[in-house]
Amino acid sequence: MNHLPQAWGRPRDDVYGAYDHSYFQTSGPKQSTQQPIVTGTSVIAIKFKDGVVIATDNLASYGSLARFTDVKRLRQFNKSTILGFGGDVSDMQYLDRLLLSLAIRENYSSYSSASDDTDDTSNLESLNAKNLHTYMSKVMYRRRSDFNPLWNQILVAGFGNDEKPFLASVDLLGTTFSSPSLATGFGAHLAQPIMRKVVPDEASVANLDKETAVQTIRDCMKVLFYRDARSMDKYSIAVVTKDGIDLKEDEKLENQSWAFADRIKGYGTQVV
Amino acid sequence: MASVFTAPPLADNGPGYSFKQTPTTHISADGTRQHSFYPYTDNGGSTLGISGADFTILAGDTRSTSGYNINSRYVPKLFKIGGEGPEHTGSSIVLSVVGFAADGDALKERLDTVVKMYKYQHGKNMSVAACAQRLSHILYNKRFFPYYVHAILGGLDEEGKGALYSYDPVGSYEREQCRAAGAAASLIMPFLDNQVNYKNQYIPASGYGHDLQPRKAELLPRNTVEELVRDAFDSAVERHIEVGDGLQMMIITKDGIEEVYSPLKKD
Amino acid sequence: MAVSCTREVLLEELREAAVDVEARVAALQVEAWTRSSLQPRGGISRELCYDLSNSVFSPDGRNFQVEYAVKAVENGGTAIGIRCKDGVVLALEKLVSSKLLKPGANKRIATIDRNMGVVSAGLLPDGRHFTSRARDEAAQWRRMYKAPIPTSSLADRMGSYIQAYTLYNSVRPFGVTCIIAGWDSEAELAVDGQVGSGPTVGAGGKVDKMKHGGPFLYMIEPSGSYWGYYGAATGKGRQSAKSELEKLNLTEGTLSLEEGVKEAARIIYIAHEDSKDKDFELEMTWVSSLDGPTKGRHEEVPKKIREEAERLAKKALEDDDEEEEAKAEGGERMEE
Repeated sequence: MNHLPQAWGRPRDDVYGAYDHSYFQTSGPKQSTQQPIVTGTSVIAIKFKDGVVIATDNLASYGSLARFTDVKRLRQFNKSTILGFGGDVSDMQYLDRLLLSLAIRENYSSYSSASDDTDDTSNLESLNAKNLHTYMSKVMYRRRSDFNPLWNQILVAGFGNDEKPFLASVDLLGTTFSSPSLATGFGAHLAQPIMRKVVPDEASVANLDKETAVQTIRDCMKVLFYRDARSMDKYSIAVVTKDGIDLKEDEKLENQSWAFADRIKGYGTQVV
Repeated sequence: MASVFTAPPLADNGPGYSFKQTPTTHISADGTRQHSFYPYTDNGGSTLGISGADFTILAGDTRSTSGYNINSRYVPKLFKIGGEGPEHTGSSIVLSVVGFAADGDALKERLDTVVKMYKYQHGKNMSVAACAQRLSHILYNKRFFPYYVHAILGGLDEEGKGALYSYDPVGSYEREQCRAAGAAASLIMPFLDNQVNYKNQYIPASGYGHDLQPRKAELLPRNTVEELVRDAFDSAVERHIEVGDGLQMMIITKDGIEEVYSPLKKD
Repeated sequence: MAVSCTREVLLEELREAAVDVEARVAALQVEAWTRSSLQPRGGISRELCYDLSNSVFSPDGRNFQVEYAVKAVENGGTAIGIRCKDGVVLALEKLVSSKLLKPGANKRIATIDRNMGVVSAGLLPDGRHFTSRARDEAAQWRRMYKAPIPTSSLADRMGSYIQAYTLYNSVRPFGVTCIIAGWDSEAELAVDGQVGSGPTVGAGGKVDKMKHGGPFLYMIEPSGSYWGYYGAATGKGRQSAKSELEKLNLTEGTLSLEEGVKEAARIIYIAHEDSKDKDFELEMTWVSSLDGPTKGRHEEVPKKIREEAERLAKKALEDDDEEEEAKAEGGERMEE
């Protein structure tokens, strides 16, 4: 021990050598995400006559390693809006906190959401899904323009100004689009064709009931588990309707059948 | 112009399909790989504009793509500028953007705000010529990190004639009779040259060899132009995978903006 | 010194200019004023000399500016808070200053974080500033700790903030007394942004039947001092409100939130008796446990429940009046 307080509790130079300051850089070029690290795979969602069904599996992968198996990638914003996150999990957590602070600020002015139970609008929030999607698109576009993207593709599900079901996507570049059914990542290849058979256009949404919509999503989750190597058979599913959000975060894929597997030829060591 | 989208932005000798995602992994000579974030993508689609004596027509398909995927079958590329409220009441200028859709949306919102502010400050609507100039400045100001879009602006000039302006991503612009932009620009533009400006059309038996008289271009009537637009897109859909799903048309006349949607092939 | 110099210069100028009687009178007034504020011993009143500046004690240890701030509070509409066993109620007698104000609009009870609310009595803008600061504190806490701020910590931070306004000459104390109500979650809360549920057993696992949190109620005064309360009251009708609160035996912890709402409404109606000539609106919010009616959030008391509570409050008042009349009549008879 010497008489210099700043040296107390530090590795001694005479034992460990001088501290290499290059490991702790406070200056130098500004760093930003160049690739996602812990990632979630597909998010899929479909509109039906009274709302939206949205699902993700509960896996967060570290490259090809199935790293975290209870990660909830559907995040509820308010009573009638929910977001599904694909891509980087840490960026998702940042956005989740951002949305929480937004929700709290929104609540300042409208704490009376339960005040008028004679009115049927008790579930209507000051920010609906459409508003939130616009907000998210600005956040994402701003971050990409700063060359510091939030590495996600996000589906926003809920209701629009016209109180019709709303479903839209925004990604790390700020690109936005809306469609009767949407899927991110692998789901865009595997699930979207299945969902488009059910809702080929906006008009067909009005003819789709909740049960069919939920079943379509569950079927798609199964297909994704069969063919997406970064997926898992535990998943979350949410049904957004005027009555609120029915979010189940601990679903298991039922009735799996791997009978198709032995008909697959030409992969790996199997050549005949 | 179209080569901006069809050629890869970084030095790369691969084939230049517009739907090809730009590689973001750079491999140096010593074998180290560096990932980097590339802030652009191409969302495909095509737009076109033709002006007439007392109208301007802008059109665009409504497909949005990323790579071989269709994001959505209905994402408009045409925007009314400077109108009031969600229905854009009172607007008389239309902007079409094709290329990177997020930049397109940002550009649309910037221009819309500018045109609205002009109205609030000066108490009159902005002329198309002024709006065109302003759009050029917006694009040029961001020339070192451009809006990756090919914009076409349409309206009626101060004499009531159809006015059409086309832009490159960094703000170079020109008033034209007609212009096609986007993925199928290279397919549609020659067709328009021939059918709108009568390029390579000659008056039969007006002379031999170099004496043959070219057919003189004239302002086309509205229904002819609408047919040309439909034909152009129907043909583009056949030959370009990024074009299809729906055709959105906006016809600007002295009575305002008329919007027409018609389906295109979804394959 | 600078002040006295200018005053002397002013005095001198006035003397020179005092050609007519009016000016001479003015000069004399200024002279008297100057003497009284500069020389305490020769002043009009011994105490009044210390009341002009903040952060200065009087010889017997009082800070007059703070006491004047308390006066401002005592003019405000009555605000109360009741800490029940399963939640907290805030209620306010909102005096309606104009018939042109929209009924039910201009809410005075504010939400701080999801699980917390504040009501103030006194100067309205000071109350709004308090709210704004409290929201910032709560948000800053969340940014730091990724969890909601405990009610006690918010009260502590806001107490320090208010107290700072009694220290400096350039500011004045807050003209409000604020009542903070909060429910600190009894469940093990997820960290903000948490994605998984963590291990169920072993290190870092869940502790079964572990209870944290509960209902909390604090009141902060203009001096910055704050206390935790079972029942708190401030504003014009605080005296009668306090005596009513004491009758509720809140320390026993048996009063339910539902009952608390009714009591709160009744107490506000009783407190209003002191300023009966003015119109008022009853504003009430509550915050309950996670399995209670507000699910751990601070919300306005639903219209139906509030109206029922108001009806009962009015009835209780009428009954009281009748009783008193009966008593009075009985007394007269006795005399006969």
